[in-house]
Amino acid sequence: MKDRHAREAIVVIGGGPAGLAAALAAACKSRLKVILIERDRELGGILNQCVHDGFGNFVFGESLTGPEYASRFIEQLQSAPNLEVWDNTAVISLKGDRTLTAVNRSGIHRLKPAAIILAMGCRERSRYQAFLPGYRPAGVYTAGTVQRLVNMEGVMPGEKAVILGSGDIGLIMARRLTLEGAEVLGVYEIMNRPGGLTRNIVQCLEDFNIPLFLSHQATFLHGKKRLEGVSIAPYGSSGKPDLQKEKRIECDTLILSVGLIPENELSREAGIEIDPATAGPVVDQDMATGVEGIFACGNVVHVSDLVDHVTLSAQAAGRGAARYLSGRKPAGKALFKAGTNIARLVPQVLSLPVEDKVDLYIRVSEPAEYVRIAISSESGEIYNKKERIVRPPEMIHLQLEKELFQNTGGGDSLFVNLQGGEADGG
Amino acid sequence: MSKTLKAVILELFTENGLDQYDLNIQESSGIVTLSGRVDRWDQVVLAGHLAGGLSGVKSLINRVNSPDSILPPDPVKPDPSSGTLTRADLVIIGAGVVGAALAREFSRFKIRIVLLDKESDVGCGASKANNGMVHSGIVQEPNSLRSRLNVRGNELYEEVCRDLDVPFKRCGLLTVVFREEDLFLLELTQARGEAAGIPVEVISRERALELEPSLSPDIKGAFLAPSTAMTSPYKLTVAYAENAVMNGVNLYLDTAVTGFHSENGRLKKVYTTRGAVETPFCINAAGIYADRVAAMAGKEEFTLHPRKGELILFDSAHLDNHPRIATGVLAIGQDPYTKGGGTMITTEGNPEWGPTAFEVPDREDTAVTADGLDRIIDKFSRLIPDYDPHKALITFFAGLRAATYTEDFHIRPSGQLNGLLNVAGIQSPGLAAVPAITEMVLDLAGDMGLKLEENPAFQPLRKSPPRFRVLNLKARKKLIGEDHRYGQIVCRCEQVTEGEVIAALNRPVPVTTLDAIKRRTRAGMGRCQGSFCLPRLALIMARELGVPIHKLTKSGPGSPLFSRPTKLEALTGEGDAR
Repeated sequence: MKDRHAREAIVVIGGGPAGLAAALAAACKSRLKVILIERDRELGGILNQCVHDGFGNFVFGESLTGPEYASRFIEQLQSAPNLEVWDNTAVISLKGDRTLTAVNRSGIHRLKPAAIILAMGCRERSRYQAFLPGYRPAGVYTAGTVQRLVNMEGVMPGEKAVILGSGDIGLIMARRLTLEGAEVLGVYEIMNRPGGLTRNIVQCLEDFNIPLFLSHQATFLHGKKRLEGVSIAPYGSSGKPDLQKEKRIECDTLILSVGLIPENELSREAGIEIDPATAGPVVDQDMATGVEGIFACGNVVHVSDLVDHVTLSAQAAGRGAARYLSGRKPAGKALFKAGTNIARLVPQVLSLPVEDKVDLYIRVSEPAEYVRIAISSESGEIYNKKERIVRPPEMIHLQLEKELFQNTGGGDSLFVNLQGGEADGG
Repeated sequence: MSKTLKAVILELFTENGLDQYDLNIQESSGIVTLSGRVDRWDQVVLAGHLAGGLSGVKSLINRVNSPDSILPPDPVKPDPSSGTLTRADLVIIGAGVVGAALAREFSRFKIRIVLLDKESDVGCGASKANNGMVHSGIVQEPNSLRSRLNVRGNELYEEVCRDLDVPFKRCGLLTVVFREEDLFLLELTQARGEAAGIPVEVISRERALELEPSLSPDIKGAFLAPSTAMTSPYKLTVAYAENAVMNGVNLYLDTAVTGFHSENGRLKKVYTTRGAVETPFCINAAGIYADRVAAMAGKEEFTLHPRKGELILFDSAHLDNHPRIATGVLAIGQDPYTKGGGTMITTEGNPEWGPTAFEVPDREDTAVTADGLDRIIDKFSRLIPDYDPHKALITFFAGLRAATYTEDFHIRPSGQLNGLLNVAGIQSPGLAAVPAITEMVLDLAGDMGLKLEENPAFQPLRKSPPRFRVLNLKARKKLIGEDHRYGQIVCRCEQVTEGEVIAALNRPVPVTTLDAIKRRTRAGMGRCQGSFCLPRLALIMARELGVPIHKLTKSGPGSPLFSRPTKLEALTGEGDAR
C-alpha cells in the first residue's frame, strides 16, 4: 500500500459494529476510498460471538442475532465500490498527524489518510483490575472470552460456574452455559442493583432459576492449579466486605463481567483528549475528536448498552468524516456539562453552527423515578424531557432539534441536569 | 560450648514467651534441632529464627509443630523396580534459575548432565515470581554467603545476560528516609557498602528529588546505589535452560525426584517418578523443597520456611509520575511485611511495586492477599504520591522465598551422602547471586571429585527468538517477508505475533502450557491479561502441538484450561465459525 493511495482515503480502525456502520456511512457520503481495517479473521467484531438475539430493535425494527446484525452491514459494504477491507490486520501505531502503521501477513503498511475513524471498541476489566485476590489458577475468564470460546471455538470453559458481576455479557453467558449443560451456581453483584439490562435479568437468570445476589463481593480465589472455589462476602456498609459472613462456593470456573474499558491506546498515542468520565475521546456531535481529521465512534467513545446506539454514533462519525473532507469546519464550540445525577454524557462538545439533529447520550449515576432531564444555557433552560425511570445501565438517548441551539454561542456551556425523582434504590 | 548454645537458645525462648511450650533443643557440632508444639505458625518461625540467628548455629532443623502447620505432602515413595530412565555423570534436581544456570555452567565440561524438574516448564517456582532485581548487596549481612555471592553475582551479571541475550538494565537504587531520626541509617548503609566494596552515595533530599521528581517532597534524604540492576527472571531461567540443552544437557520436565540409592554411603542412583537415573553426582537445587530432597539422603539437614512475596505490576503505558530508578524506604520500626520492598520498572517497562514478606506455613501458598495488596499500595503511594495505582494496575502475583532459619544460603555437600551437593536456601538476593553461585558450586563439585574436562564444543552464546514489538521497521519487514506469520498479531496488548508463538513452541526447551507460552512471548501479560489472546493462543497451540483444544493446560497436569467440546462441537467436530 503506497502512501499516495491512502492520502485519498478514509481509514476506519476496527470492523465491529461501530466500524461497519461508520465505514458504510463514510462510503455512502464520500467518494473517497474507505479502508476498513479489522484485526480478526473476519468482520463483525464481538457481534460474531453473540449468538443470542436482541440486536437491532431500534435500527432495523426487529430482533436479530449478532451475526445477523453484522451481516446486514457486511452485505451492503460488499456492494460499495469504494470500500476495501483489510482483515487480519492490526493497527499498531497512530500519530496525531494521522500517520498510522498497520501490520498484516503481507507486511508493514504506513498510511496517512485524509480522515480516520476510530472504532476499536472496548476490552473487559480483568480479575486483577477488579482487585480480586487469591491464587491464579486456570478457570478464571472474562465473560467475553467465554462467549468466544463457547460460541466460536466450540470449547467449554468448565462445568460449575460462578459469575461475578451482573453486566450483560455475564448474564447472557449464564444462560448460554446452562444450555450447554454446565451448572451456573449464581451471579454475584457488588452493587445494590444489577449492572445489566432488565430484559437480560429476566430472560437469562429468572427464566433459568439462576440466583442473583446483589451487594456481594468475591474476596478470594481458591485452587492452585485449576479453580476450586471462590469466597464471597456481603458488601458491607463500610465499603469493605463483611468477612464475618464470608462463605466459600465450590466451583471450577469464575466468569467475570465487571466492566468494560474503552480501548484507547491508539487515541492516547495520537494525543487525543480523553474524558475521564467516559474513558473515551472527547467528541462533538459529528464524533470528531480534538485532533483534526480523527473521528471516533461506538464503545471506544463510551461503553453503550445497545448495539443500536453504537451504530447510530458510527453513522454520525461516517457522515462527520465525509463532511469534514468536504471542507466544512466548525465556526465555534460550546460544551455540554454533566450536572446533577449525570455520570457521563456524549458528545461533550457541540460544534457550531448546528446543522443537524444532535444525538445526546446520557448515563445517570443513580437510578431514579419520575425525573425531568433539563438542558440549560447560562441564559435559561432550552430543553426538558420527562422520564419515568432512569437506571445507570440504560443509556438515555435524546434527539435534540438544531433549532434549540439557535442562540448558543462559541464558548457557551450547556448544563445537563436530572431534576426531581426519588432514588429507586434497586 | 554446645551446652552454652543450648542455654542461650533457652534464654531467648524465655525472653520471647516460648518458654510456656515444652520445646526440645538438641545440638551437635553447630547443628541445632528444635522440636515440640506451639500454638501458631508464627511461633514456629520465631523459634526457628531465634535459634538460627545465633552465630554458632550452622544449620537449623525446625521440627516444631503448630495446629496451623501445613506439612508438605509426603514424597512419592521411590520405586526401585521401576527401571532405569537414563545414566548421567551429574543430575541436577530443579530447573529453576539456579538449577538451569548450574546445568549450563557444567555443560562447559565433557560430562553427561540430566536436569530434572517436577513441573511442566522450567522456572515454575520462585524464579518466575520475583521482582527481577539484581541487588547491589548493600542490605545483606556482611560476611554472609548471601552478601559475598550477591556482590560477585552483580559483577558477573551483565556478561551473562549479554551471552544469553537476556534483558539487563542497570537502573540503580534510590532508598529514601521520611524522618530526620532515620537519616543515620543512610550513613550506616554507606559505611556498610564501603566495607563490602559496593558503591553507595548518601545524597541530599534535593538531589534525590532532582533525580526523581515524582518522589514525595516529604522525604528527608536518600542513598543511591548505582550498581542495582533489573533483569527478567523467567527469561533468564529459560535462557540458561535453553543454552544448557543446546550444549547437550538432557532436560526432563514433569519428573519428580523420589529418593536416592546409595552403596557404602556413595550416591548410585536418583529415583524419579519416571524411573531411576544412575549417577555418581547430584546437585539438589529443588528450591522451596530442597530441604525435603536433602532429607531423602536419610535425615533432615536443615529446614526451609516459605516467606511469601507479593508483587503488583502496572501498565507499561502508565510510566508518568513513576521513578525510573528503583526505590526503597528505610526506617526504624517500619512495617516488617513490606520492609524489603520497593518500586521498580521491569525490563519490559512495567512499573512494579513490592514484594511483601509474609511467613506462611504452606509451601504452595502463592495466593495474593487483600492485606498484602493494601500494604503495598499504602506504602508506595506515600512514596510516589502522584501515581494512581488503582488505575494503572494490570496484575499481581506472589512467590515464595526458600529461606533457611539461619537466613543464609546453604551451599554444602550433604553430611550423609557422598556425591550429593545441596544448593539450598536461595532466597533473596538469589537471583542476583546466580552467576556467583555457579562459580562456587563448580569449585565445590571439583572438590567432591567430579572430573571436569573442558568441552571444546561448548557454545556459550544463545540468541532469543525475534520479538516483533521491539524491532525497527526494516527488521519487521524482513521478518514478515521471511515468515508471514510474523505479520499476524495474536496478543494485542503486547503486540505478539503468531510467528513468535510458533517459534516459542519450537525452541530447545519444550513448551506445552499456556503459561510457558506467556513467559516466552509475553502473550497474555498485557493490560487485558489474556482475555483477547487466550482463544487465539489456544487454537495455535492445539494445532501446533497436535492436541485437541480442550486438552490444553495452563500450567501442566491438574490445570486444564477447558472442560470439553461444546455440544455443537462434539456433534460436528468443528466450531461454527471455522
